[in-house]
Amino acid sequence: MHIDKFERYWIVAASLMLGAFFAALIASTIVFGVHLPDPAGRINPADAEDWTNQGFATPGLRDMGDNHYEAHIVAQMWLYNTGDVVDGVPTVRVPQGAVVTFNVASKDVTHGFYIEYHNVNIMVIPGQISRATVTFNRPGTYRIICHEYCGNGHHNMNAQVIVEPSA
Amino acid sequence: MQAAQTRDIPVLEFPKLTALKTERWLVGVHLIVAFSALSLGLLMGPFQAFRRAPALQWDIPIFSYYYQALTLHGVLNALVFTTFFIVGFSYFVTQRTLQRPLASIRVAWAAFVIMLVGLVLAAFAIVTGQANVLYTFYPPMVAHPTFYLGLTLVIVASWMAGGDIFFTYAAWKRDHKGETVPLAVYATLTNFIMWITATVGVAVEVLFLMLPLSLGLVQTTDPQVARIMFWFFGHPLVYFWLLPAYTAWYTMMPKQNGVRLFSDGLGRVAFLMIMLFSIPIGVHHLFTDPGVSEVAKLFHALLTFVVALPSLLTAFNIAATLEWAGRKRGATGLIGWVFKQQWGNPVMAGMITGMLIFIVGGLTGIMNASFTLNLALHNTTWVPGHFHTTLAGGVFLTYMGIFYWLMPFLSGRKLFAPRLATAQVYLWFIGMLTFGLAMGRAGIEGAPRRTDAGAAAYISEAAVPWLNLTAVAGVILLISSILLYIVILGTLFASKKQEKADAEPPIDTKAPADDPSPSIFENWRIWMVVIVISNLVMWGPVLIQALDFTKGFIIFGFHPNAPIPLK
Ligand code: HEM
Ligand SMILES: [Cu+2]
Ligand SMILES: [Cu+2]
Repeated sequence: MHIDKFERYWIVAASLMLGAFFAALIASTIVFGVHLPDPAGRINPADAEDWTNQGFATPGLRDMGDNHYEAHIVAQMWLYNTGDVVDGVPTVRVPQGAVVTFNVASKDVTHGFYIEYHNVNIMVIPGQISRATVTFNRPGTYRIICHEYCGNGHHNMNAQVIVEPSA
Repeated sequence: MQAAQTRDIPVLEFPKLTALKTERWLVGVHLIVAFSALSLGLLMGPFQAFRRAPALQWDIPIFSYYYQALTLHGVLNALVFTTFFIVGFSYFVTQRTLQRPLASIRVAWAAFVIMLVGLVLAAFAIVTGQANVLYTFYPPMVAHPTFYLGLTLVIVASWMAGGDIFFTYAAWKRDHKGETVPLAVYATLTNFIMWITATVGVAVEVLFLMLPLSLGLVQTTDPQVARIMFWFFGHPLVYFWLLPAYTAWYTMMPKQNGVRLFSDGLGRVAFLMIMLFSIPIGVHHLFTDPGVSEVAKLFHALLTFVVALPSLLTAFNIAATLEWAGRKRGATGLIGWVFKQQWGNPVMAGMITGMLIFIVGGLTGIMNASFTLNLALHNTTWVPGHFHTTLAGGVFLTYMGIFYWLMPFLSGRKLFAPRLATAQVYLWFIGMLTFGLAMGRAGIEGAPRRTDAGAAAYISEAAVPWLNLTAVAGVILLISSILLYIVILGTLFASKKQEKADAEPPIDTKAPADDPSPSIFENWRIWMVVIVISNLVMWGPVLIQALDFTKGFIIFGFHPNAPIPLK
């Protein structure tokens, strides 16, 4: 099998390019600490006790001290229960600079959990707990969107994060 | 006895310049069903774009429930059109290249009938609004049983088709001991080996999880496990669409340009690599799933970068072949050959614009596959933006290029209004590039995919102009689609009979004798072992981590229209 000289150069260049891309990904995780979702535990949607024990019976935000917060959110057809509502929109209210760990569980079908302009993008799958941690550095209102089709009312399933400027 | 007779058919009896009657009908009906299904699925596309554009927000005609239209669009275009087209095309390529009829024409017809029944069952469920679950049908959302049954039949029939092709190859091999199989059939075989392996995942999912749940035989399911099995199949699915396009670029385009392929051997390497590496990478569709570990995601991301290599090999090989073609026509200088291509011929225009738009698709694909970068893109309109430049772009345009010579050959009629066909290709090219750009940008601004944006209250301001641009692209693509069907109907019903001399299909019937490839390429046993082992290693841990028989979870099914569990 004959391989042309230029084709050989091309193969080497292409491999180096792909290798460089992959190295950049490793760096994004190791150096910059951006992570993909990792298993965070299971939850039985049909078991009220399990639901309560894992903190989903009372959705809402908990202050863990030191600027860290933990949010429990329930996703269901077709709304989020965040434990707080502002102008009819389910809301998570945090101060600027807050480090928030979101724990999301589904009561029924598969949903999505996506926060605009932040590295939060996770599927919410019945039986699994979805966990993502993010820092809110810029004040403003950011939409939380269900980005997986979950039935008739899917396009209305949204919530918001209000990041209040620190004084 | 039957089989022996088929094998003994003298090679020369296979007509070179005209289509056999059985061939004409067998391949022809596959194309007719493919394009009939496409006509409805395709029509939904522009109307989805109009519905999603804030400036219009039109209701979709007839299928006014957005997700029903979207299910039709996904299933008919991406599953039905492609499968019928590919099976028909693969039969054609196998017979013409090996210059012999299929091992069993009866099996081929049986497969066709089963596939058609499957299509009718699935279409019934969707059209009657009982399967508004999109083409990925993730549980615990449940559709009518005929939807799953129909899809199962389509898959089983495609296995029969693949088997028939393999037996045809085996018979050829017996008559041609020690010869290397021509590249086109090599590619077809890799495609079906990959396909049959991959569809095992979705077949198990449908038969053991979805159908029983939908029939009410069981009341619980495991959505994470189902997603893992679906995407075991889902990534090779996109290569199943792509390989016939590559086959046309590698094995037909050179002949259509009066040159030979730059490197037959590296073409084989590309197909072989895709066969081996397209399955153990599917977790890149599950990057944001909570039940799959980050380590598994990293390994699948790594192999995804490896499977980009055969496409980069293809880029060189095909560009070098086109350069030869251009220089043969007198091109000079570094890039003169670019201008000496058959830009005005619908067949070549379809393939070359397909290659060009596929560059965009490949690059955006590498971006999706980029592990952490996926957090910014997953399930936004970026993703349909990406695969309308691959599937609805590079693949579809190449299929049009194929279709514009295959349809005249099979029907024995001249292509109707070739200029309209050329216009169809360029309008599609421009429309899809615009669509891809607009969907991509809207996605970066946070517009979610699979969403009835016309009814949603929350479209981000920054995404609005881009969503409106998708409607402009929709207009261009609608015009292009109408032209396509004018050309089809015109060729079949209003066109002149074709002279035999210009009807010869662009098929290479021999592997190059002066540059033989290592015989290990055709040693399917070794490659099957590699496939099994690599997938056990790459998928085994993912599946085991998700499977859990100890917890006794009950996860009920749901219909998409009500939050009431199906107990
Ligand atoms: C007339 C040209 C087309 C237009 C204007 C168009 C438009 C669209 C739009 C707007 C969406 C996204 C809807 C959403 O996410 O809410 C979509 C999805 C899709 N399109 Fe197309 N499309 C066209 C042609 C095609 C073709 C030719 C194919 C395949 C052969 C195709 C395959 C798909 C698939 C698989 C989806 C995803 C469905 C899903 O998310 O469930 N499209 N299309
Ligand atoms: Cu949703
Ligand atoms: Cu993939």
